[in-house]
Amino acid sequence: MKKLIALVLAAVMMLGAVACAAKPAASNEAEKPAEQGKVFNIYAWNEEFKGFFEKYYKVPEGVTVNWIINPSDNGVYQQKLDEALKNQASAAADDKIDMFLAEADYIGKYVESDYTMDVASFGFQNAPTQYEYTIKAASDNGVCKGVSFQCCPSALIYRKSIAKDVLGTDVPEEVQAKLDSWEKFEAVAAEAKAKGYYMTASFAETFRVFSNNCTSPWVVDGKLHFDDQINAWIDQTEKFVQNGYTLTDGVWGEEKAAQMFADGKTMCFFGPAWYFNFCMGNAIDPEKGCAGDWNITMGPQAHFWGGTWLLAATGSDNTEMLKDIFETFTSNEEVCEKLVVNEAQYPNNTKVVEKFANDPTYGNTTILGGQNDIAEFSKLAGSIKWENHTNYDQLLNEGLQTALQEYFKGAVDKDTALNNFYKYVNETYPAIVTP
Amino acid sequence: MSTNSKAVVRKGLSDNDKGRLQLTLLRILVYAILIFLSVLCLFSFYLMIVNASRSNAQLQAGFRLLPQEHFLDNLRNAWTDASINIPRGMLNSLIVAASSAVLTTYFSALTAYGVHVYEFKGKKLVFTFIMAIMMIPSQVSAVGFVQMMNKLHLNNSYIPLIIPAIAAPIVFFYMKQYMESVLPLEIVEAARVDGSNEFRTFNTIILPIMKPAIAVQAIFSFVSSWNNYFIPALLIDKAELKTVPIMIAQLRSADYSKFDLGKVYMFILLAILPVLLVYIILSKSIIKGVTSGSVKG
Amino acid sequence: MAKQIRSELGGRRHRSVSYAKWGYIFITPFFLVYLVFTLVPQLLTVYNSFFENYMDGLKQIGPTFVGFKNYITLFTPDKTGTIDILKYAGNTFILWILGAIPQFLIALLLAVFFTSYRLNIRGQGFFKTVIYMPNLIMASAFSMLFYTLFSNIGPVNQVLQSMGILDQPLDFFASKITVRSLVALMNFLMWFGNTTIVLMAGIMGIDQSLFESATIDGANAWKVFFRITMPLLMPIFVYCFITAMIGGIQMFDVPQVLTNGKGMPDRTSFTMVMYLNNFLQTSKDYGRSGAVSVIIFVITAVLGGIVYKTLAAQYQDPDAKKAERKARRLAKKGGNA
Repeated sequence: MKKLIALVLAAVMMLGAVACAAKPAASNEAEKPAEQGKVFNIYAWNEEFKGFFEKYYKVPEGVTVNWIINPSDNGVYQQKLDEALKNQASAAADDKIDMFLAEADYIGKYVESDYTMDVASFGFQNAPTQYEYTIKAASDNGVCKGVSFQCCPSALIYRKSIAKDVLGTDVPEEVQAKLDSWEKFEAVAAEAKAKGYYMTASFAETFRVFSNNCTSPWVVDGKLHFDDQINAWIDQTEKFVQNGYTLTDGVWGEEKAAQMFADGKTMCFFGPAWYFNFCMGNAIDPEKGCAGDWNITMGPQAHFWGGTWLLAATGSDNTEMLKDIFETFTSNEEVCEKLVVNEAQYPNNTKVVEKFANDPTYGNTTILGGQNDIAEFSKLAGSIKWENHTNYDQLLNEGLQTALQEYFKGAVDKDTALNNFYKYVNETYPAIVTP
Repeated sequence: MSTNSKAVVRKGLSDNDKGRLQLTLLRILVYAILIFLSVLCLFSFYLMIVNASRSNAQLQAGFRLLPQEHFLDNLRNAWTDASINIPRGMLNSLIVAASSAVLTTYFSALTAYGVHVYEFKGKKLVFTFIMAIMMIPSQVSAVGFVQMMNKLHLNNSYIPLIIPAIAAPIVFFYMKQYMESVLPLEIVEAARVDGSNEFRTFNTIILPIMKPAIAVQAIFSFVSSWNNYFIPALLIDKAELKTVPIMIAQLRSADYSKFDLGKVYMFILLAILPVLLVYIILSKSIIKGVTSGSVKG
Repeated sequence: MAKQIRSELGGRRHRSVSYAKWGYIFITPFFLVYLVFTLVPQLLTVYNSFFENYMDGLKQIGPTFVGFKNYITLFTPDKTGTIDILKYAGNTFILWILGAIPQFLIALLLAVFFTSYRLNIRGQGFFKTVIYMPNLIMASAFSMLFYTLFSNIGPVNQVLQSMGILDQPLDFFASKITVRSLVALMNFLMWFGNTTIVLMAGIMGIDQSLFESATIDGANAWKVFFRITMPLLMPIFVYCFITAMIGGIQMFDVPQVLTNGKGMPDRTSFTMVMYLNNFLQTSKDYGRSGAVSVIIFVITAVLGGIVYKTLAAQYQDPDAKKAERKARRLAKKGGNA
């Protein structure tokens, strides 16, 4: 009996301790204002858009904006977002997510779900100045669920001095004429090699250019399917690696980045506007860099890279504000211009883009020696396609590249590499049937 | 030095010299090994400092063996980052890590003592059971754990980060093994004769003897709790509650305009300092504990 | 609390029955917390392993009861006849043993050095701090450093090339041997200090008079180590070995970060928990990940049991007679309930 009492006592003490400690957490939540529509909750994985939002959007009086920011490391952002979306229906009005951010790589997962709502339901109309593909990306069977505040056309970035040596010219139009198809690209690669240069520094440098132009999705009738463009990329890369036209580093690799120094031997890189700041630090290195020795042009095929979308969450009680935010970052020309001038963004507004493209005083001086990059990018932006996308794209693209990198490096044969890719698909997406 | 003096008496001076020479050679060898290992260990640490002294652009530019001039810039940037409150994060981590270390060592010692000293029905079973749960991989139950805590509305609370430390099978096992090797049961007997109650015996007599073991496990659990990212990241999203590893991850997923690898390295470096301090303090008590509290048995 | 004290006083009269309850009281907090916070998720893991249960995007598939299907899938050979889970179990073992052998040898050696009065090592505080430092760096940050050190344009390759040993950069991440060695080296660096400290604390807990009397009796260092240090250190050594083995079987973060989750080349540095992690990341496949954890658990339990039994049997036999005698004496006196 005594034993029992002691046990029960100990148990009660323990539970008491847990319960007491649990209280503050519970009361925290109760502190939030109870009034409807006065709290606007935004889920994001970093502070980029938060910065623009705070600078360029005027929050209506009396509304509190809550930023719930979770890092994307280890998939934490999506995991927490998914959890919150699942509880959205039962959450108190002020705890409901109103808007969340998604990247091009996984936007489909949310757009196709019922957790996002039709922007027309709260009276938002996509403007004709928005780029077609940004609308398509946020639409499920024609029903649009959000907008992007940016457009990310990606161009061929070439070293002028190497182009001059290999092609005899470094003028964008002339370079473009010599590189506007993959056949020409390959022929030039051979010439570059003959002169001791590399065409590209990563085996996957051109992957995005091909994959953005696929004519069929990754999955057909539940089965893994290799599009012709994907096969073309594999064939081309095989040839490039065998002939020594390219280095075998990854897209984000150090070895590749080192090629952007003045003593680098690589002629071509592919990237959008954000690539200059984010990935080309070596090129503008004051000692070893070669700022100004770069220009951009379209390259063999139009493509894009990255981009962030704002999606309207089903159940939001701040629909007026959602509409307002979407309009501010797509149609408000003043804001879009500031995005260009102050934030080095390429805005999702063709009118503003036109203005900068035709402005002879505008140019990128940090890296492109004054070339008007917006003018160059704008030639591409219109022909970007958003077709044949699936929810699986991001990880299938990554998985294929990492598996094949071993093959290109000579560590395994092609069959083994593809076999490892199928294993990865099987672990990541059990629903997809692999060969 | 009693061996040496004995040897002198028995075998004469030449052996004494030989012994000394041997000892000197041994010492040289030992120091050489220690210095080699220290260099190996310090090298990675040194690299952290070098990297923390370089700007983002310099870091992108590749490897350098010598520090560059941005140490103070990085420190300032990291410390005053508008969106990530590092001092606050360190305080949060300190609260979580210190509480877990205290709870885990105290209750593991208590549990081990319960199993080691007392005879009761099911004792063997208890030991086997704890040994078995020690072997369950933590990764999968982690996901279930997070879901359960969300259901109990314990997200954004430190309870799920601290309280589970009470049931730490590995620490229990260590305490049990330590008691087996150093704790003479006579002490418990003697305390009973002196009229000490069992709980007090544990707190006032046993714990001091266990000091080295407690210090060792306190260090380990402090460090692992301090560096824990996965579970805290899934449970905590209120800015004022975030711990250091979550903040580092957040710096790393910053957008290109704010991404600063130099700041990341600086933050990692800053994050090591408190743990290092705790380690130095506790490692002293490993030695102290032995010289003051140990009992001959 | 008052009740507990009273009952304790009451127990004083019937000593042989009363002490047992303290055993229960002392282990209660552990089990309560375990029940509340850990048991349910763990049981769910096993339960889930019998279900098809995963996410396809935001769409939940299952849970549907499938019996042993998840286990059967895991043990089905692929086209080339490899059974993945066995391959990864083998990788895990190799990666662990490569690091564990030097880890234990060096740690044992250092622990003896540090505690030896004869050697009387100076600067102990410094050395002890330094060897533990790699453990303080987050595994992910440590792996980042190693990656840059050994990359194609990293300093290791630069040095090897400038010394004329290599004429082309050696791709450390394209060969099985080098990747595995790097993982082992990192694990060694991260853990040998930890093991040293544990073993040292163990040696310092040994009654010093035993060493004194042994040296007076003329035993050399070698003899002292094998006859006194090792047998008395055995419980702690067993702890170290078993926990290191468990840690090894669950090896994850070092190879994960170093190889970016790929375990290259050809998944030869891919561990069981990396495999498990792949199931959890995107697909949230609780079925197959549950089955993998159950397999890992069984492997650990079998190995752990064998190691514990062999090592424990060793130290309980010969030299620990004294301790045994002590224990028996106490048991007779009244600890026995």
